[in-house]
Amino acid sequence: MNEELDSQLSAMFDDELPPAECELLARRLSRDEPLKARWGRYAIVGAVIRAERGVRLNAPLAGRVNAVLRAEPALAGHTAPRDLRHGRLRWWQPLAGAALAGSVAAVSILWLRAQTPGEAPLTAHLAPPAALSAAPAAAAAQGDSYIVPVPKQPGVTVPSTELANYVVAHSMFSPPVARRNLLSAFMTSEPATAGTEEPQADVKGIAQ
Amino acid sequence: MSADASDLSLVRRVQRGDKGAFDALVLKYQHKLVKLVMRYVRNPAEAEDIAQEAFIKAYRALPQFRGDSAFYTWLYRIAINTAKNAVVSRDRSPVEYDLDRNNNDESYDMQGRMKDSETPEGLVLTDEIRSTVNAAIDALPEDLRTAIVLRELEGLSYEEIAAAMECPVGTVRSRIFRAREAIDRRLREVFEGGLGRAEELG
Repeated sequence: MNEELDSQLSAMFDDELPPAECELLARRLSRDEPLKARWGRYAIVGAVIRAERGVRLNAPLAGRVNAVLRAEPALAGHTAPRDLRHGRLRWWQPLAGAALAGSVAAVSILWLRAQTPGEAPLTAHLAPPAALSAAPAAAAAQGDSYIVPVPKQPGVTVPSTELANYVVAHSMFSPPVARRNLLSAFMTSEPATAGTEEPQADVKGIAQ
Repeated sequence: MSADASDLSLVRRVQRGDKGAFDALVLKYQHKLVKLVMRYVRNPAEAEDIAQEAFIKAYRALPQFRGDSAFYTWLYRIAINTAKNAVVSRDRSPVEYDLDRNNNDESYDMQGRMKDSETPEGLVLTDEIRSTVNAAIDALPEDLRTAIVLRELEGLSYEEIAAAMECPVGTVRSRIFRAREAIDRRLREVFEGGLGRAEELG
């Protein structure tokens, strides 16, 4: 017996032979009776080492299985290719997913409705914002006019003096040059801020 | 090394119509399967019948085996289901296997033997095989014995054995092979020269 072949057989028995070598040796093992008998004895050695008591080591089980299977047809041609089988199954999977999602959504809606019996639809609770509803009403009351109404509450502005005070109070966090630049910018912007009140009078004057 | 490559290569051959490859799978796993089934039925002869049925079911179902799990795991499930069905159909309650039972429990051994339908000659041969293998293992050099025991008893991979024995994986493979060869030489004498029952292994 070829020693290299036996060494491969031992490694294959332990699942330690590379797959390519397994393929070649499996082919030989299925046809070579002495090699198969050696393979069977390797199994017996393992059973003895594991002390599998009660198991008959000389049991003719393999011979009995072989005798039964001799009458069976070979499996060639019976093997369903994996991709084909999966291909047949895959087409309905997206449909089933969509149906499931739809039914979950429908059940959720029905459940929500059942939880709030007698209440008006959710949209009824949504009152329009006061600003949105008031503006057209006022326009309707004044008749046709091309004057843009002035907002009652102008945007919140922080006076420059307050900002200047803030910068001075936190002067330890800014370099002197930057602080000076900021303060001078506040001072120069003060009149412009005050002047923003003026156009209202202009608009009123035009309107009148 | 890809786990289960050996079994998978045999399984693929069976799926392509090579029945001889299935023999190799039966030879490899028959003892493990009988041992497994004996957790449900204590009688070895009955366990062998169930194991035989499981192997035949596995063969017939092999076209559906895709290799998602290891072959033995798949075979294990078939054997468990076959054993449970056999127990139910015979209206027997399953015998719980006592994992704590001492392996040297002679009363268990005798009980098992008393239900055994095998001939006295068969019992003698089993004893002969067991004592021959044990004697051959005892006669092995320490490094060979450690390697084969770690592999067969502890189920370690070659890489794990190499780490445990502080040697290359190739050395482990060689040691295990040499150990098996030494044991096999003695075992062949039992089958070929002794009681002449070698044909029953196939």
